[in-house]
Amino acid sequence: MKKRSISLTVNGTVHDLEVPVHRTLLQVLREDLDQVETKYGCGTGECGACTVLVDGEKAILGCLTLAASMDGKSITTVAGLEKDGQLHPVQEAFIEEHAIQCGYCTPGMVCKSVSILAKNPKPSEEEIRHNLEGNICRCTGYVKIVQAVQRASERI
Amino acid sequence: MSDFKVIGQRVPKVDARRKVTGHQEYADDLRMPGMLYGKIVRCMEYAHAKVTKLDLSQAAKAPGVVKVLGPKDVTQKGYNSGVLDLMVPEPVGQMLGDIEDQLVFTDHVKFQGDAIAGIIATSEEAAERAAELIQVEYEPLPVYLTAEEAKKPDAVQFTPLKPGNLAFALPIQMFPDGAAYAWGDSEAGFAEADLIVEETFTLPKVKQCQMEPHTYVARYGDGGRLNCWTSTQMPKCIHNKLARLFELPMSRVHVIQTTVGGGFGCRLGMIAEPQVCAMAMAVQGKPVKVSLLREEDWLGSESRHPGKYKMKIGFKKDGTPISMDAHWISEGGGYYTHASGVQFTLGAWLAGTYKWTNFRFKGDRYYTNTTPCGAYRGYGNPQNNFAMEQLIDRALNQLGIDKVEWRKKWHKTVGDDGWCMGVTYASCGLDECLDKGAKAIGWEDKIKKYAKQTGSKRRGVGVAVMTHTSGAMPMLLEHTTCTVKINEDATAELIFSCSDLGTGAHTSLQQIGAETLGFPLEDVHVRAQDSDISGFDIGAHASRTLYVGGSAVIEACEDAKRQILERAATALEANQDDLVMENKKVFVKGSPDKSIDVATICYQGVYNWVMPDTGNWIGIPGQIQGYSSYFAKHNSPPWSACFVEVEVDTETGQVKVLDCVAASDVGKAIHPPSVEGQVEGGIQQGFGQSCMEAMIYDEKGLCLNNTFADYRMFGPSDMPKITNILVEEHDPFGPYGAKSAGEGGQVAPTGAIANAIYNALGIQFTEGPITPERILKAIKEKGLQA
Amino acid sequence: MSSRVLPVFDLLLPSNLEEAVGLLSQHGDQAAVMAGGTDLLVGMKVGMSPAFILSLADIQGLDYVAFDAKHGLRIGAMATLSQVVDSKVVNDKYHALWYSAFTNGTPQTRNAGTVVGNILRASPAGDCCCAALAHGGSVLLQGPAGKREVDLDEFWLDYRKTARKPDEVAVELKLKAPEHGYGSGFAALTRSYQDLAKINAAARVIMDGKVCRKVRLAMGAVAPITLRLKEAEKVLTGQEVTDQLLEQMAAAVRKEVKPIDDVRSTAEYRREVAGVLAKRVVQDAIKSVAGPCPYSCFMGA
Ligand SMILES: Cc1cc2nc3c(=O)[nH]c(=O)nc-3n(C[C@H](O)[C@H](O)[C@H](O)COP(=O)(O)OP(=O)(O)OC[C@H]3O[C@@H](n4cnc5c(N)ncnc54)[C@H](O)[C@@H]3O)c2cc1C
Ligand code: FES
Ligand code: FES
Repeated sequence: MKKRSISLTVNGTVHDLEVPVHRTLLQVLREDLDQVETKYGCGTGECGACTVLVDGEKAILGCLTLAASMDGKSITTVAGLEKDGQLHPVQEAFIEEHAIQCGYCTPGMVCKSVSILAKNPKPSEEEIRHNLEGNICRCTGYVKIVQAVQRASERI
Repeated sequence: MSDFKVIGQRVPKVDARRKVTGHQEYADDLRMPGMLYGKIVRCMEYAHAKVTKLDLSQAAKAPGVVKVLGPKDVTQKGYNSGVLDLMVPEPVGQMLGDIEDQLVFTDHVKFQGDAIAGIIATSEEAAERAAELIQVEYEPLPVYLTAEEAKKPDAVQFTPLKPGNLAFALPIQMFPDGAAYAWGDSEAGFAEADLIVEETFTLPKVKQCQMEPHTYVARYGDGGRLNCWTSTQMPKCIHNKLARLFELPMSRVHVIQTTVGGGFGCRLGMIAEPQVCAMAMAVQGKPVKVSLLREEDWLGSESRHPGKYKMKIGFKKDGTPISMDAHWISEGGGYYTHASGVQFTLGAWLAGTYKWTNFRFKGDRYYTNTTPCGAYRGYGNPQNNFAMEQLIDRALNQLGIDKVEWRKKWHKTVGDDGWCMGVTYASCGLDECLDKGAKAIGWEDKIKKYAKQTGSKRRGVGVAVMTHTSGAMPMLLEHTTCTVKINEDATAELIFSCSDLGTGAHTSLQQIGAETLGFPLEDVHVRAQDSDISGFDIGAHASRTLYVGGSAVIEACEDAKRQILERAATALEANQDDLVMENKKVFVKGSPDKSIDVATICYQGVYNWVMPDTGNWIGIPGQIQGYSSYFAKHNSPPWSACFVEVEVDTETGQVKVLDCVAASDVGKAIHPPSVEGQVEGGIQQGFGQSCMEAMIYDEKGLCLNNTFADYRMFGPSDMPKITNILVEEHDPFGPYGAKSAGEGGQVAPTGAIANAIYNALGIQFTEGPITPERILKAIKEKGLQA
Repeated sequence: MSSRVLPVFDLLLPSNLEEAVGLLSQHGDQAAVMAGGTDLLVGMKVGMSPAFILSLADIQGLDYVAFDAKHGLRIGAMATLSQVVDSKVVNDKYHALWYSAFTNGTPQTRNAGTVVGNILRASPAGDCCCAALAHGGSVLLQGPAGKREVDLDEFWLDYRKTARKPDEVAVELKLKAPEHGYGSGFAALTRSYQDLAKINAAARVIMDGKVCRKVRLAMGAVAPITLRLKEAEKVLTGQEVTDQLLEQMAAAVRKEVKPIDDVRSTAEYRREVAGVLAKRVVQDAIKSVAGPCPYSCFMGA
């Protein structure tokens, strides 16, 4: 097949889409659904800027996922973490720890941090660092990002 | 000075909430009706070639293609992507020999990734697919990857304007000492020296790796106006440069700065603005978006200058640094770009750090068939640090002098000539940085402990120091403007043109504005990114935004405040000098009941009528606006000391960074977390340059690692714990005593980590990056001291 | 070629293995099988352009990690690296494989990427390839003529080339059951903490006290395929493991490897550290005979 009909839930909204099979989830999110908060940084799986969550907790890469393979799946982007004007504890911690500079890595970094804590609510610093691999930040040296995950972990 | 209200507070950054929710828009996020997509076609097969045939006809017929453009279809004017030519007086520019040797699309490919054509289509996909249909034939030319090769007499000339492919050497008219930046007599100095050490260092070609790839939108329309949305670091310079390139009056060029997804110098001057604007001019009325692919961004945007650094230094037995003679030879890539800028500042900072009795620096830059070099955080200074700080340690080992003590004794300080002669240092907290840093890392103990080691895991500690700059004065034009507009409810808009690269600059400027006006922070809003709105500024570079921009903000806010007080004096029938402004009220000193709300003054300035009953104005009409067109009066560089502890696995050559202490004198830290962030990010980049990062080319000049998979950087698990010490030595010139913090963070870590490895192994590495491969080879060749 | 836009292809989404094999017999050489896609899609962004992708995503029941003491470990074609990292039994009994999955790529690529994909990718630097070869085992392939098993020792033929025929699907990876005295270790040298290996090594030992009864030693990124270091194994087999013996083994390793220069490292370096790495993984393997692995504190996200 060259196109596939899929039903994709993004931040709680169900979309019935007819997607060309060669399009990545990242393209469909950004170009077809206007969810531009998920970023392109490399397209080859290295930088994590395109990270989104499946079922609210598993981190995957938009750039290395075929949209056609996402039928029936539920995706959360960074924009879906805020609920009724209330930020997610990870988002709050990123602001409070000043873990954001240029902010381009932030959507992916925040989603990744949510996934880390979903799996292990009290990670050690070493575990946080190990699991932040795959999300490149060129601004912060990761110092304040690690601190933000630690702070969020105290609240979750 | 401790009674600041907002300065020094760890307030949330102005843009943090927008960024953490994903609401912040970057250029690639822009959506416009009728948007078209541009693709820059680049030569990927050759690093040096003539295009002998370019057939765009198949691409033109491809589905969705609106237009194809070859070299002849766009302006034939040349340009220089750098902007230094705008910032020096014309005669100086002529002496420096700055040239405009770049074309929008070229038929003489000078590096892999050079732009040869453009495609405009209705979707990104259509443009990509059409690009595959372009047929190009090339006549390959010899490839020059080193200065040695490029300067051979029979080498193909990159431009007739630069014989011998020598893009730049310090001009003899400006540097009479044999075209060298010099004082004293270095040869005589060496004759007096008790110890001379010399070495040639090799510096790698490293990349900024900003996370947001270069992306633009341009539209030519709206009555002949060219609009360009770009995440440039210097919107006003781009404004001027685009007007010149496309021969339009500046009033018909509109530059809108989008959120900068990381700068580090990679957005200095123009990158692909000429190409995207040329495309927009070809499809009038339609917006055209060009989003560079990561692999293309890597090749098509500028890198740091690599090169060979020949350095010779002489000392007296007591450690007196009697002479320095250095010759920097850079392999600068396919175009002129920043040839004059980097080669000059490199020498200047070399001169600015220590008190050499005699000093001589020469800097040359050759053309090579590699990605053109431009600005990258530190602008020459990290190259110095890697070479000079290591060579000094080698000498100190031979002289038996402690490395911290020597640095404390011989660094330049208040009253000494800064990195430009004639501009003296006005403040210096380096001694405190060295003392506190040494204590935090446990310097004395560790130096002793690591002097004798056995086994396969060897530890070492290293130190390096640096001074950088706060603004471009006196080398370049140092001018910025700021308008503060007071709304009728006594809140303020600060309008300027300096960009915030994510550094926190706008947060700090907001704090400065609020402090000066005496307004609560939330009542001051920052607006900064539109050439139609903001005044002149030379851009976010030279670590200037806070130091220079902050002073402009103060001046503009004081102007506004003066107007408020003038009006209050009239209203309260008091002498202006007797008034105080606090909590948005103006009082007469000593009689607090005689007061007026600032809001009343501002409101009356805007909403003003002749009252029908009295026939009088109700206050003083005219909206209050403060303004500053600010030329920096001085340059007060920051100082810092970096300490690093490493463990080297002598069986594999792998280096683990165990600890890092950075002590920085940035003057008053206006927004401390932003300063810390600059230091922490700088360390990641500095370590990378010294130990991991380098663009690698094969013999054909094709880059082998233009992806994050192949060009590795320090990741979360590679980074050590960092202790950040801020030494806030008040500066008499800086805004509220502040100096700069932007670039400096990267400089000293490059030397400190190299010195730590040297300390661990007793072997010095002159070629960067210091990879396990080089370490293991050296251990095999030179052996380890027991 | 673009890291943003994939080339055009036709997606085949069979719902069972028979259908998959049928589609492969039809489209043969023009089709690429996709498990997690973390390798295939990157390849397609840098120049590969298969006409068909046959995705295993819709085939139920391939995502198992199953162990029994008699037959050993079976990992289904769609079992992700994350599943293996989370598996207690792998962590306990197949330490080398566990560690090779734990350090493989990033949490995101481990969530999508599969162990079988790693084996089928046939990269000489593949981390699970190296560990699996040390453990010893086979790949179960299903084709039009039914199922067949290929021993890992015969599975990789050349750089990125396997014994799989174009009409076959790899169904599972099988690793031999541990015997008494079983231990294994894996290590990789990388440029940064997370990176493709410059060189990796894995060992599986069967110890009898201090004597090494049997050993399998594998090394990656030192030849066009992941190598079994048989000469080095001979040095150890039947001997009491001493520092001196390990040195002898390291010398044999350096002779057996045939590394090259590339962006990640140099031939000279690889040869030099090959011996060191071999010693370390053998030592780790021996240590792991005694008890649980030292890395179990880590769990991937
Ligand atoms: C950022 C990043 C980091 C990485 N780091 C590492 C690393 O550290 N170590 C490492 O070894 N690898 C690494 N990889 C490569 C890759 O992620 C792994 O090798 C992974 O295990 C591949 O599994 P997959 O399921 O995604 O494979 P796929 O991409 O689906 O397939 C890989 C290959 O195997 C074939 N194939 C897959 N399954 C089958 C099957 N059942 N039958 C027949 N053929 C099949 C495919 O046709 C393809 O040729 C990395 C990749 C990325 C993007
Ligand atoms: S864009 Fe997906 S990992 Fe970089
Ligand atoms: S904040 Fe800029 S890349 Fe992370």
